Parts: sequence; structure tokens; C-alpha cells
Amino acid sequence: MKNYILLIFFVLNFGFVVNAQEWTVPAEEAEKVSPYIFEDDFVTDGEILYENSCTSCHGTPTENNFMPFSPPPGDPASEQFQSQPDGALFYKIQKGRGIMPVFENILAEEEIWSLIAYFRSFNKEYVQPEFDYGDEVLSELKFDLDFDENIDKLVVKVFSDGEVEEGIDVSAFVVGMFGKFPLGKTKTNELGLAYLDVDPSLPGDKQGNLDILVRVRKGYAIEKATTSMKIAEPAQQTSLIEGRHLWSTGDKAPVWLLVTFLLIVVGIWGVILYIIFGLFRLKKIG
Amino acid sequence: MAEKSNAPRRKSRREFLRKLGTTGAVSIAGTSLLFAGSKTGNSDKTPGSKVKMLDQNNRLVEADVSQVSPVSVKIDAGYLNKKGRKGLPGRKFVMVVDLARCRNARKCMKACQGAHQLRPEQHHINVLEMYDEENGASYFMPKPCQHCDNPNCVTVCPVDATFKREDGIVLIDNERCIGCRFCIAACPYSARTFNWAEPKDAEKYKDVPYDMELNVPQKKGTVTKCAFSADRLREGKLPYCVSACPNGVYYFGDENEDLVTNGTTRETVRLSKLLKQNASYTLMPELGTKPRVYYLPPRRS
Amino acid sequence: MAGIHKSEVTISQSGKMEHDLLRTVNWNGRFKLWMGFLSLLLLVCLYFYYLQLRDGLSVTGMHDIVSWGIYISNFVFFIAVSLIGMLISSVLGMIGYKWIKPISRIAEIIAVAFALVAGLVIITDMGRPDRLQHLVMYGRIQSPIVWDITIVITYVVLSLLLLYLPLIPDIALCNKKLTGLPAFQRRLYKILSLGWADKPGQFKVIKRYFRILLIMIIPVALAIHTVTSWLFAMTLRPGWDSPIFGPYFVSGAFVAGCAAVIIAMYFFQKNYKLQEYITNRHFDLMGKLLVLVSLVYVYFNINEIIVPAYKFKPFEVEHIGNLFYGHDSALFWMVQTGGLIIPFLLLMIPKMRKPLPITIISVVILVAAWFKRYLIVVPTQLTPYYPIQNVPERYHSYTPTIAEIAITVASFVLVLMIITILSKLFPIIPVWEMKEENENQKQ
Repeated sequence: MKNYILLIFFVLNFGFVVNAQEWTVPAEEAEKVSPYIFEDDFVTDGEILYENSCTSCHGTPTENNFMPFSPPPGDPASEQFQSQPDGALFYKIQKGRGIMPVFENILAEEEIWSLIAYFRSFNKEYVQPEFDYGDEVLSELKFDLDFDENIDKLVVKVFSDGEVEEGIDVSAFVVGMFGKFPLGKTKTNELGLAYLDVDPSLPGDKQGNLDILVRVRKGYAIEKATTSMKIAEPAQQTSLIEGRHLWSTGDKAPVWLLVTFLLIVVGIWGVILYIIFGLFRLKKIG
Repeated sequence: MAEKSNAPRRKSRREFLRKLGTTGAVSIAGTSLLFAGSKTGNSDKTPGSKVKMLDQNNRLVEADVSQVSPVSVKIDAGYLNKKGRKGLPGRKFVMVVDLARCRNARKCMKACQGAHQLRPEQHHINVLEMYDEENGASYFMPKPCQHCDNPNCVTVCPVDATFKREDGIVLIDNERCIGCRFCIAACPYSARTFNWAEPKDAEKYKDVPYDMELNVPQKKGTVTKCAFSADRLREGKLPYCVSACPNGVYYFGDENEDLVTNGTTRETVRLSKLLKQNASYTLMPELGTKPRVYYLPPRRS
Repeated sequence: MAGIHKSEVTISQSGKMEHDLLRTVNWNGRFKLWMGFLSLLLLVCLYFYYLQLRDGLSVTGMHDIVSWGIYISNFVFFIAVSLIGMLISSVLGMIGYKWIKPISRIAEIIAVAFALVAGLVIITDMGRPDRLQHLVMYGRIQSPIVWDITIVITYVVLSLLLLYLPLIPDIALCNKKLTGLPAFQRRLYKILSLGWADKPGQFKVIKRYFRILLIMIIPVALAIHTVTSWLFAMTLRPGWDSPIFGPYFVSGAFVAGCAAVIIAMYFFQKNYKLQEYITNRHFDLMGKLLVLVSLVYVYFNINEIIVPAYKFKPFEVEHIGNLFYGHDSALFWMVQTGGLIIPFLLLMIPKMRKPLPITIISVVILVAAWFKRYLIVVPTQLTPYYPIQNVPERYHSYTPTIAEIAITVASFVLVLMIITILSKLFPIIPVWEMKEENENQKQ
């Protein structure tokens, strides 16, 4: 019996030790740095990812409203998180521990880095360490965008360091209110040209404009830009609250109802007032 | 009351929800910066860095930081009221609920109740277990307000407290509502709920200016219902329930763009194709309410 | 009437009539005791209304599924009873029935009291009574509630006028004859008599106005209850979705109103010793009228219930099933048979139309009529289109709380107070009309 209690005590104690134990990250992993620049766009990508995959346990950053688990998940904006190097955070997200899931196969490396970019957006002192691209020289990418009405295709001409080049990744999206609708993904041909289909049935705004996001990528070098292009049919957008309906606001009540109501009320109250005034003249009647 | 018996077990979760609810309110309280870009905090003011902001047409645009000056707008009740009744021009919001994906995780209900200061029995969105066929299997159906284009609840309101906006959202002004509950009686979808008692955490929300689009703070004796998270839509974000779903049940978007975005996978698809290819339907079309929430059948063929 | 013929005393018939009918205008001890009791009861009930104002409607048994409870069904009941003023004074009066003369004022007082308090009942149901002014500031004419409020106010004013016009000569008479009354009351009479001097020209004007009112109150009274029925019929709920709700409500209203008038007649006949004026014949005729309106009501009941029960549409089935053999079946069958069919069959027997039996039957009918309104309002809400889930167990049924019942009792107390005061302030039977009737009979 005594041994039994002792065992429980030991297990409990051991649990405590595990909880308090540092989550050690191999040194070479901790030194890893992001090849992607933590720019605003990248931070926003991370924020969206965070809301979908992390909020349920870690809560909203800066609010310290993470779930009361043991070990505590912690708040990404806290000192405990921010004091760790980027590589350590990257490793922990990838590998997981205990309740923390393994994200290695769920999130791409780029996505994990965007999460870290989001965490760092809460730290004003943070300076992103430079990634050593080694021999690889980041090309300076530029592109021109046009629309060929005859074949309903977007034409993207890409220049890498001022030269056309074959095999550069080009993707295009229609920018919707909440997300990007992919038009397609292709590579440039030997003339540096990439063609992307645009569905002619896509509705534009009232002027027929569509916001097109084009993204060009060669290695770690990424260039993207959003352009408003007049490539769709101008849409006939009718307001949902046009006209006079029974459900419209009071000032847009149907005319027939307004007239009927007022006629009845004025009619009846006219007679009532006529009688009331008549009564006050009762005294004078002989 | 059955609720009381399991109260201790659920306490911690409630505590958590309560906290979530508070954060939602605090972030809208007082003054806030009008453009969304300021949210990322560390965006320095050197030329070249971009911020995202809403232009006059409420489209999300990027602009250079050096070109915009942060205008701090005092968010008073009058401003919120005017904004709430106006709606987002050029938008027609729609929701598509893919029943085949719903696993009854109920994260949507939790996120919604946390954001809108609701008690556990008050639902803006309610996940129902449906039995359409006596011999068939049951399925789970999230049921938010249908934001009908012919809303009977709005028709019967005596004081314009509930109204339809040009972007399709049916909202409630709980500073106008007289608490007659005619709209509750009129709604065939049972989408509305009433603040019978003092709302949850009323004391905490006491000095928060009323935001019609969030419908917080809730007020005793008034009706409340799903608002398609109009406050989030104005920021270009998906509704609370949509982004909380872990199973990819919800698509949300703008009918004018013909694009809807899945809250979980962030996949953006054509609304018309999604509806056509999946035999979509609306709830009780025979009533002529013309809902703005579409359902995809619970089983894939 | 026999007593009058035997009388050898020199006082004229009309003199005795004046004496008999003005005798009831006083503030005796029994009145004070009764009013004291009512006031005490009202105070207790008002405490519960204070609780409701403080804690919100959570003190009631209502919830998100049954969001309209006994306040609304009581409101419908009050509106229903108030319609009787129109039926008796207007419809029967215009047809030319003379026998309604002595009971027309009773009917009018009941109409005014119930219509007035109905307005208050609807305020007790509001979640935000402090925002009542919003109805004027932001009134939206597409809403049946705005129609209802407009028409209730109109009906109250019309009923008040319908009560007041024939009262003017009597008030002048009271002022002349009843010199022993307190000063304030005499001053009130003086103001209210509007300088009445029994001049033929004045009678002519009053009678003309009265006819206009009699005609006008018919559509208004029909409208008030039809619009009240629309509060339900114009929603998209299975049990309320009925095109005959208007006439169904109106016919039911006449049943409830007749029963209320018979009870009041019995009370005034016994307490005010008016056996010579409210006679067995009046009870007999009212009994026949009650049979007639009950027949019409039974007819509408059959239509309202048989048609959906025969078609067996989904959702309607659930509602009908609940009434026929479900949760509310006991109440339903008690109200339909015990409160409607059996009483009206009994009333076909002449003996049952004697004052005491008919009064007992009327009490049963009136109580059943109240529960009938409950059965119209509540069960429908318990069978919504979508299942009731993720809510506390109590949301599956509805039980009014003590506070809710107390506030409902308060409305009845108020009605009784109004009826008592009006019947003590003014002669309960129109003196000049009875005199006029007498003259006509002599000729």
C-alpha cells in the first residue's frame, strides 16, 4: 500500500518534471533562418493561418487567453515566445510535442515561416536575421501584364535581371473580397511569355474591372503585383433594397398601403373629432 | 433545470469563452484606427512598406505607408449607428454550408457566442441534428440567420429596429428595439433569440459604445440574431463562425463577385459552379423567403 | 313591472324609475371594502411587475421557443371581450331590438374597461416598455402591430364616446337630483354634463352623433379583432397560417363577450337590486344570443381544425397532434367540449337560461374562452419548423411563473376596478332612455 502511494507520488512528481522540462531544440535547427522577407503581405498570410490552426489553443496573441493545458500553450506575443530564435519556433511548429500537433506534413515551410512572421509582428525590437543565400543570387524579377481579348488569355512577360528566360513560375489569381481565386499556374516559354486562361463568365464590377494578382517566382525570388484590369463584362448590380416592399424600411412603405392606412385613419379620426367638437357646442344648442 | 447539473464540468470552458468575448469587445471599444494596416503593429513608416486599407467602396487596397496618415476616428454611437444601417455598397453576401463536411465540432457556435456576448443557450448559429427520413441517418446542420431577401421578420417589425441592408444583411438595432418579439414569432427558421435577462457580462460591457454590426453590447429586453459578422466583413475578414470551423463546412463570399471562400482551407471557388455542381438548396423555399444561405446536401453522390 | 302597475302612490312611474336607477350612484361601505380589496391585490401584483421591470422578462416562463405567453393570449382575450359593446349596442340596436336598452350600458362599460386594459396588457409584454415612444417616433406602417395599436386606440376612444354620449343626459340628471354627493363628484358631473339642459335640440344632436358612432364602431370593432388575429396569421408559423383567423377570432369574441355581459348582468341585478329592469327575459334573450354566436364559433372551429387535420400536411400534423392527443390535449378537449359545445347545448334548454344557471354556464364559457386563447397562442410556438435543440430542457414546454400570473391577475383587477368605479359613478342603466321607452309604450 505504502509503495503504491509512493508510486503515485513519483509519477506525479515525474509529470511535474516533464512539464517544467525545457523543450530543447537541436542547435543546428535553432540557427535556421527564414529565406522569406517578413513583409506585411507575408504577415497577413500568417495571421490567416494562425486564426485557422492555432487560435483554438493559443488564443489571440497579446491577450494571454490560451487554453489552460499542461504544459501551457503560451501566447505567441509573450516574452517566452519572442525570446526564442526563429529556428527554434520553426522546429517546434514542425515537430510538435504532447498536445501540440505535428505540423510537418500539414503546413509548407513557407507557411510556417509566415506564422513566425506573424508572431514577430508583435515584437517591435525584432530584426529579421539575414538568410544566407550562399551561391544563389536572387534575381531581380519584373513583369509586364496584358490581356489578349481574342483568346481570352492573360499574357505575362517576365524579365529576370532584365532578360527573358524560360521556365519561370507564373501564377495568376482574381482577388476576391475574402480570398484569391486561382486562374492558373504555368511557366514562361522561351520568349519569356506565360499565358493564363481567364474564364469569360467571371463577373467584373460595374465597370467590368477585375483585380488580377500575378505572382512570379524564381527560386527564393518572388515578385507580385495586383492590377485592376478591364477584362470582364460590366455587371448590372442591382441593390437588394431597391423599391418599395412590405419589408422595406418605414420611409419606403408601399404606396398602396400608405394611402389606404392614412385614408382610414384620417377618415375615422375626422368623424371622431367632428363629434367631440360638436359635443363642446352642445351648451349653445337650444 | 438540466443545465445546472453539469455546470461545474463546463466551467473552465465557459471561463475561456468569457475571456474570448471580452477581447472581442475591447478591440472595438474606444478609438480605433480606420485602416486595417495599422493592425500589424510593427509596420514602420519608411516609404516602400505597404498597408492594406479599405477604400471608399470598401474594397481592400494596398497603399504606401508614406501616403496615408493614420486618422484616429472616435467611434461614437452615432458613427456606429450610421455605418451599421448603411451596409457595404456593391456587395451581396452569401453563405454556402456544405453539410457533407459538418462533423458537429460546434466551433462555429462557440466562436459566435464568444464574439457576441451570448449566453450558452442563446444561439445566433445553432448546429441541429436533423432527421429528414424516419429510416435514414441523421446529419448535422448549422443554422444561422438565413438573411432572406424577403424577410418576414423585417416585414412585421413595428419600429424599423430590424432592417435589410443593401449588401443583403438583415441587422438589428438594439437601441431601437422595443422587445415586442413579433420578429421571433414571424421567423420560420427560429433564427432569433431574446435577451430575457440582463445579458452575459453586462457590467463589463457597460461603457462600450454600441456597435450595430457586432450587436454588442447586448441589451436586456431586446432581440438579437446572427449578423453575418458584419463588423468583420467591413474589415475584409470572414465571419466568426466561418473562420472558426475546423472542417471546411462554410464558404462565404460576395454574390456580385461570384466568388466564395472556404473559411478553413481558404480555397476560393466560383459560387455559381459550387451551387450547380453540388445540387444546392435553400431552407423551405416554399415559404418564399428567398434565403441568402445555401446548403449543399449532407451526402456526396 | 307588476309592482309599478299596483302602485297607488302619487309618484309617477318615471319618478320611481329615476329613484331606482340613481339609487346605485353612491360610495357605500361595500364599495369601499371591495375597492380596498382590489387595490391591495393590485399592489401585490404591481410588486411583481416591478420585479419584471428590474430583472427583465426572465421572471416570466417565456423563452426563445415560446416567446409569446399568457400576456399575449390574455391580450387577445381582452380584445375579444371588448367586442361585445359593438355587438349589443350597435348591431342589435341598429336592427331595432328594444330589449337591449337596459343592458347596453353594461356592455359598453365592459367594452371600455377591457379595451383600455388590453392596451396596458400589451405593454407588460414588451421587453422595453421604456421605449414605447419609439412606436410614435419610428412607427412603421407595414407592421400589423402598428395597425393594431392604431385601431385599439381608435376603438377605445369610440367605445368611450359610445358610453359617454347616452350618459350626458343622465349625468345632468345626477347633478340635478343627487345633491348629497361629495363636492368633487358634483363638479365632475357639472363638467361632464357639458351644459345639458334636456332641450329637444340637444337630444336631436346626441341621437344623430350616436347613430354615426353606432355605424362607425362596426367596422372598427371588426378591424380590431381581425388585426389582432393577423398578428398570428401573418407570420409563417404552421398553426397560425390560416386565412380564416379573422372571422374565427371575431366569432369567438362574441361568445366570450356575451358570457361576460351575462355575468355582469347577474351581478348588477342581484347587488344593485335591479330585478325590475334586468329581468329573466333579458337573461333568456342573452342566452339565445349566446347560443347563436356559439353556433357560429363552433362552425369556425370545425373549419379551423378539420381542414388541416384532414390534409395532414407535415408540420401542421405535429401541431394538430399536440392538440388532439399530445401535451395540450387535455386542455384542448376540455375547452372545446366542456367550454363550448356542452354549454351551448345546455343553453338550448329554456330552464338553463334562468339567471343563476346561465350565469354559471357563462362563467364556464368565459374561463374556457381564456384558455382557448392560450391554446391558440402557445402550442403553435412549441412546434416550430426546425427541431428545438441545444437549449435547456424547459424550452420544450411553457409554464407561466407566479410573476406572470400575478401580472395577468393585475389586468383583471384593473378591469374590475374600472367597471366598479364606472358603475358607481354613473347609473348602470340608462335613465332617460328607459323613460323614453316607457313613454313610447304608453302611447
